[in-house]
Amino acid sequence: MNEKKKISIWEAYLTKEIGIEFKACLYFFAILFLYCVFRIIEGDYSAQILHLAEMIFTCYIIGYIQVYCFGNFDEAEKLKGKEITGMIVCTAVYCVVSYFGGWFYKNLIYTLIFVAYLLLTYVCVFFIYKSKRQIDDKILNDELRLFQAEHKKSE
Amino acid sequence: MKVDIQRIEEGEESVVLRYKELTPKINRIIGILKDEEDRLWGRNDAGSVSVNLEAIYYVESVDDKIFAYTKEDVIRLEGSLNSFISEVRGDTFFRCSKSMIINVNKVSALKSLSSNRIDATMENGEHIMISRRYASDFRRLLRGYK
Repeated sequence: MNEKKKISIWEAYLTKEIGIEFKACLYFFAILFLYCVFRIIEGDYSAQILHLAEMIFTCYIIGYIQVYCFGNFDEAEKLKGKEITGMIVCTAVYCVVSYFGGWFYKNLIYTLIFVAYLLLTYVCVFFIYKSKRQIDDKILNDELRLFQAEHKKSE
Repeated sequence: MKVDIQRIEEGEESVVLRYKELTPKINRIIGILKDEEDRLWGRNDAGSVSVNLEAIYYVESVDDKIFAYTKEDVIRLEGSLNSFISEVRGDTFFRCSKSMIINVNKVSALKSLSSNRIDATMENGEHIMISRRYASDFRRLLRGYK
């Protein structure tokens, strides 16, 4: 029993960790896209390794903050006070790191666009997860009806 | 309880049960002898009662005691959740959390929640959470894999 319990704690940790890794990749990709757009606008066709390392590291850390401090707000059922606060705090952290890391040439307009882009990304991810759950609801209820019908038949 | 078992070569097989009080345990033995395997015996405020398995919505463990919830009654059962799940036949009863077992045939709707949890709405309108730990097994059960 104890062994079983240990495994389940390990599994729970692993599931959370994979979730954070996935988030880090998702938001890194989104930020990288905007980074490339701004670089191209500036006529700069190279990306700095240091910036990319900072981005992935920041995404990873913010992934932890998101999951452990703000109840995984992008996967939440509803966007309430805690979730919105989480979005704002995480965006603010990204904003500060991006500015001082010089991801967007320390340009204030670029940084403001980055803030709006991040908030939009969070809202989009929230709705993507929500619609995924709605599709899952339909599948689950269809499977439930089938299960119940089969059991009634066998009785 | 003293158990006296005798093997006979001839004559009709019989069971004589001698009891001082009709306890749930005695009732259960009677139920088995009368081939009432789909019924369970327990206690409510009125005393000893039997309940059809199909009428149970869910079974909950509270302070090491287990209670079966039906449409209009709450019955205290003997044993533990583990013993309950191993006693009942078929796969209509599902362990959905550490302290609860639900009757899947009494679920009216399911809702997928974040972190891979599932909210089950029972026919009586109550909501029961299928925790993340048990949700994957529940999905497998619905799809016909145990």
